[in-house]
Amino acid sequence: MGCSSSLPDRSSGRLSGLNADGAGATDAKNLRVKLVLLGDSGVGKSCIVLRFVRGQFDPTSKVTVGASFLSQTIALQDSTTVKFEIWDTAGQERYAALAPLYYRGAAVAVVVYDITSPESFTKAQYWVKELQKHGSPDIVMALVGNKADLHENREVPVQDGIDYAEKNGMFFIETSAKTADNINQLFEEIAKRLPRPTTS
Amino acid sequence: MDSGSTQSLTFYDFLDRMRNPTSLDLVRSIKSFIVSFSFYVANPENDGKRVQEFLLTMESAIRDHPLWAGASEEEIDCAVEGLEKYVMTKLFSRTFASSPEDTKIDRDISEKIHLLQNFLRPEHLDIPLVLQNEASWLLAEKELQKINAFKAPREKLLCILNCCRVINNLLLNTSMTENRVLAGADDFLPVLIYANPPQLHSNLKFIQLYRRQAKLVSEVAYYFTNLVSAKSFIADLDSKSLSIDEIEFQESMQAARLASKETQIEPPPSPALDEIAALAGQMDPVPSTRMHDNITGGSNYPFMEADAGELTVGDVERLLSLYKDVVTKYASLCRAVKHLSISKTESPVPVLKENKAELKMPEGRSKNVDHSRGE
Ligand SMILES: Nc1nc2c(ncn2[C@@H]2O[C@H](COP(=O)(O)OP(=O)(O)O)[C@@H](O)[C@H]2O)c(=O)[nH]1
Ligand SMILES: [Mg+2]
Repeated sequence: MGCSSSLPDRSSGRLSGLNADGAGATDAKNLRVKLVLLGDSGVGKSCIVLRFVRGQFDPTSKVTVGASFLSQTIALQDSTTVKFEIWDTAGQERYAALAPLYYRGAAVAVVVYDITSPESFTKAQYWVKELQKHGSPDIVMALVGNKADLHENREVPVQDGIDYAEKNGMFFIETSAKTADNINQLFEEIAKRLPRPTTS
Repeated sequence: MDSGSTQSLTFYDFLDRMRNPTSLDLVRSIKSFIVSFSFYVANPENDGKRVQEFLLTMESAIRDHPLWAGASEEEIDCAVEGLEKYVMTKLFSRTFASSPEDTKIDRDISEKIHLLQNFLRPEHLDIPLVLQNEASWLLAEKELQKINAFKAPREKLLCILNCCRVINNLLLNTSMTENRVLAGADDFLPVLIYANPPQLHSNLKFIQLYRRQAKLVSEVAYYFTNLVSAKSFIADLDSKSLSIDEIEFQESMQAARLASKETQIEPPPSPALDEIAALAGQMDPVPSTRMHDNITGGSNYPFMEADAGELTVGDVERLLSLYKDVVTKYASLCRAVKHLSISKTESPVPVLKENKAELKMPEGRSKNVDHSRGE
């Protein structure tokens, strides 16, 4: 379905057919979650997603899917699954005003900055404020300091990230799409923080 | 989404089942739902809600119906797809671009695009040179322009997805041949902004309101949102949206305005053209089927005003593709006109193939009640 066959999505047609409520939960055990990526161009959003979905860093090697929408399902310990539908947004400044179209209805927002770029950290804070104002009130937000492998060029102290995230009730993590460090943890932690549909 | 051809088969399967005597109750509900629209003034949001609710209600009616006893999820799904197509084709003239505000937005956006086309270049959106592939962009635009040849929300949506597929292929090919990092939405959106059909706003609104909500999710919703976003970008576009000097932007817009005043030969968009094109093509937006583009002002045929001396070698490719396009359209038109004059003698109903797709009426009420609201 759609523009590019997005792995791994074996039963997409059926699933959405059943999923008439559109609220994101296919059933109590299998969540479907819209996740939107925000952050400056170049901070590593595409690489994080490709690393998570395809297990690879080099985005030029044999990618067979579109890089702007990807989905990936993870299994949690309590034998539930979460299918992340990841919406990339254009990071260029001229498209900033369009972001609300993308994060509307998102259950998760991942705001990414580059630990070697203070400007990207400032931009991340702009997105957080924007989401607080216009995002859905129960949105789960994660703040991600990427390119942690470049610690010798670090310009944003870890503590700054921690403090800002704590003040704003966000989950915080530093990642490296290059070394795969903390990439899966990022998504697992998000999955744990998702509000669960109440079951009897 | 399935390919167009299987879907068109399932549409006829749906109509077949509706001809089965046991489905009389369903047919009656469908008919009376469609007729009920003639009792109220058009109101897009409200009409949208009513259609969505009706489709949900009918979905469970179909699920419990003896005719679908033991049917798989796919079969039920196909039936509801068929239903959506049937209902929305019937309600099209009432629900598509029906409010003056929407028509105005369409016109404003078209005018703006028309002006921008005089001077906007990919560099203004900082689209990297490797992605400036005229042939692919033209193809993407072609796919999207087919949107006006269809009345069913699902088929309109399919045109959007086909267009996005072309752009995605371009991005993927480029990333492989040029060894360029895939930049995701950063690359995708600007290219999409270049492809825009007439009545973009109304098409998007129509899909948003009338495509089954359960189907406007996930990847489909993502690409749909990208087009909404492209539209909104164009609608709000000013010099600050572009890599262009403020003064240069104003001057270019002014020059374009003057130029378009001089050559204003805008024939009103004729609905008959839509019908003809749809007849000429297939019922479904299969990518290879050529459809019409709306034949509005000169922007689609940029060489109309040109002198031979102004042309460059670089224009040859564009000229050739326009030439082929025009010939294809002309051929389709001839075929369609022929077809039309044949079918005219058979049936006074000028709507697509619906004379064939008519549902059987219970209790011999008059046919085509829904057309009684003067079209
Ligand atoms: N060293 C390092 N480079 C990275 C990392 N993630 C991304 N990059 C590089 O940063 C650049 C931009 O990455 P990209 O994913 O396209 O950023 P986006 O614009 O946010 O999508 C690319 O050249 C990547 O190779 C990382 O974790 N470590
Ligand atoms: Mg990117």
